[in-house]
Amino acid sequence: MMAAVRNYLGSSLLLAACLLASGCVSMPAPAYQPGIANTEVLLQGKGSLTVEPFVASKGVNNKSLSVRGSSLKGGSDGSFSTYLQEALVAELKTAGRYGASSDTRISGTLVKNQLDDGAIKTGTAVVGARFVVTRGGSPVYDKALEAEHTWDSSFIGAIAIPAAMENYATAVQKLIGKLFGDPEFVKATQDAVAENK
Amino acid sequence: MLSLQKMRTLRALSLALCACFMLSGCLTAKMYVDPALPIASKTDLKRPAQPKPVQVLFEFRTKGNANAKATAEIRPRVVAVAAESALFSAVSSTAGESDGGVLKVVIDNIVLTDNAAAKGFGTGLTLGLAGSMVTDGYVCTASYSRGGKVTETTVKHALHTTIGNHSGPAGLTALEPQAAVHQVMDQITWNALKQLDSQGAFE
Repeated sequence: MMAAVRNYLGSSLLLAACLLASGCVSMPAPAYQPGIANTEVLLQGKGSLTVEPFVASKGVNNKSLSVRGSSLKGGSDGSFSTYLQEALVAELKTAGRYGASSDTRISGTLVKNQLDDGAIKTGTAVVGARFVVTRGGSPVYDKALEAEHTWDSSFIGAIAIPAAMENYATAVQKLIGKLFGDPEFVKATQDAVAENK
Repeated sequence: MLSLQKMRTLRALSLALCACFMLSGCLTAKMYVDPALPIASKTDLKRPAQPKPVQVLFEFRTKGNANAKATAEIRPRVVAVAAESALFSAVSSTAGESDGGVLKVVIDNIVLTDNAAAKGFGTGLTLGLAGSMVTDGYVCTASYSRGGKVTETTVKHALHTTIGNHSGPAGLTALEPQAAVHQVMDQITWNALKQLDSQGAFE
């Protein structure tokens, strides 16, 4: 009988520990914050750009990413393709280079979206997208880019879950940094400025 | 032999015990602002003859990684300090007038206490009886650029946190976490502006 008592006590404590550790919640991704490095790169260029709605490739986690029983949602419509699109808009607006009616348009497809909170030590987020820039309807840039971001995770869910959610945004920031820093992207958008003059 | 009723009672008691531990405040955190950084304010700044507009770029990092949530919370405070300083004719987070400057502020939160996680874990296991103190360091890199001229400075600050049954640093007053963090961020920004000003960045 004492074994049964121990089981009761153990399971109760385990239940309480699980509730403490997991949180079991559904959270939106943190509001995207433009990265200083990205803004600085954009400030060096000229010409306005606009961003069209993004989509996701088939099979990509576009609606929810799981983090130890909790889930992370994407942008204003809950999708991660929209989160990426809205992040690009935020970056361009911060640098004063967003123009809704610009002839140079960025569209994109989310091709990879992974979040691993790291069961013990290191968390990893991998985000990939194919970006297409058109000018006057003609493509001037078409490239798939991918960014991986790692961070110190924790065995304790109460630390690991929010850390994973925060660091997902950093992975997106890195992906956008790769786009803005790509010499071909810079050339394509600079050419647009030259032709618009 | 324990009856089913007694077992239920034991289970309820164990859950209540857990709830008490969660709610008791045994693990209350108290924060203390390190006194080493001088307190700076608007009176320490020399207002330029012709203030220019400025775009404030801010990023909060945790151990080198961008922290979106903290950036969103702290950015308005950094912008508010820049506005209150009267060093600029207009302050904005987005790109503005072409003759304006760019104030870049990056604050990186680094843990100074060795093996802080282990200390906190020990405090948790003893339900706060074995308290611990950890110290967070904040390294701010600030720069102001305008017309090709770039001026940079670095400011360091620290925040001590006690968890559980542990006394704070001698002579310091405990603050609520949010108030302590805001005080540290504001003082870092004021000191950064003061140092940039003393280098003639805004002339």
